[in-house]
Amino acid sequence: MKGPSFAHASEAEFARILDYYGIGWDYEPRAFPILWNLDGKVVESFAPDFYLPELDIYVELTTLRQSLVRKKNRKLRRLRELYPSIRIKLFYARDFRALMLKYGRIGLADSLSGAEGQATPPRDPPSAIVRPRVVGDPAPGAPPPALPGGELTTAPPGRRARRRRGADVEAAT
Amino acid sequence: MRQPDLVADVDGILITEDQIRTRVAELGSQITADNAGKSLTLVSVLKGSLPFMADLMRAIEIPVRIDLMEVSSYGGTATESSGLVRILKDLSSPIDERDVLIVEDIIDTGLTLNYLIRYLRGKNPSSLRICTLLDKPARRLVEIPIDYRGFTIPDQFVVGYGLDYGEHYRNLPFIGVLRPEVYTAT
Repeated sequence: MKGPSFAHASEAEFARILDYYGIGWDYEPRAFPILWNLDGKVVESFAPDFYLPELDIYVELTTLRQSLVRKKNRKLRRLRELYPSIRIKLFYARDFRALMLKYGRIGLADSLSGAEGQATPPRDPPSAIVRPRVVGDPAPGAPPPALPGGELTTAPPGRRARRRRGADVEAAT
Repeated sequence: MRQPDLVADVDGILITEDQIRTRVAELGSQITADNAGKSLTLVSVLKGSLPFMADLMRAIEIPVRIDLMEVSSYGGTATESSGLVRILKDLSSPIDERDVLIVEDIIDTGLTLNYLIRYLRGKNPSSLRICTLLDKPARRLVEIPIDYRGFTIPDQFVVGYGLDYGEHYRNLPFIGVLRPEVYTAT
């Protein structure tokens, strides 16, 4: 059976480690909405790389350079705020490197870190990489939502921040 | 790999020989008290836990049997073809209806131990508990219920007292932090 097309070579390596130790995994099985516009449409979501069903934990790998990690950290913070019951473990580049060191594959870690790791060709054409549909996304075939303007909210619909005249944004309950 | 230097390659001592000796004695007393009137089967996971096993068993004052297991590690050339973890050395004696204590040198990701726990549970022991000299929780991927813990250590690559890098440094009598230059130079 053909496996998923991993976005990064480090993810493929991580999947091989999980397979080796008999840990079941799903690749990007769910996207969590983390930002909505004022119409309630999802404008940003976060799809952790792996879900380990037996352990009920999501794992996100990031072997990117530190400057690019900040964005991911922000997403992760939002995810934890909005979905406190979700268990997620973030593997930074240094964590992945330590994992490879433990398994005597430090050279591989160096070759997989940063942008170089993106160079590994996927097993399927890039167009075959399908990100999971998130709650609030338009149905397949529907026109894409309008790009958000200046008004965005990190509160889910129902607890959406609303702007009042002469007042700061507040959470409506 | 470059020729290891047992002195120069260690950045510093994290846990001294005396600290190890004291803590192992405490663990032995605790295990003895918790299992009074019973006998235990200690299962050591080769190779790193050998020194710990040798010291711990002598600090336990109830009857013990010992057994040894070895599990392949990811990245080992001998196992890459199968792509699955393998038991390189299985138990010598059955453990069904026995109280078993797994003796580990270090738990970090928990992947190996998780595999081992599942494997040993399939052999129907009366109880299965975990004793580790070192716990490195920063790397944990699989939550492992640890019954006896020697030291919780920071996220550093440690060697000595059985722990190796490239099969070296196991004979250091203390737990030391390996200089990063050692593994970046290989």
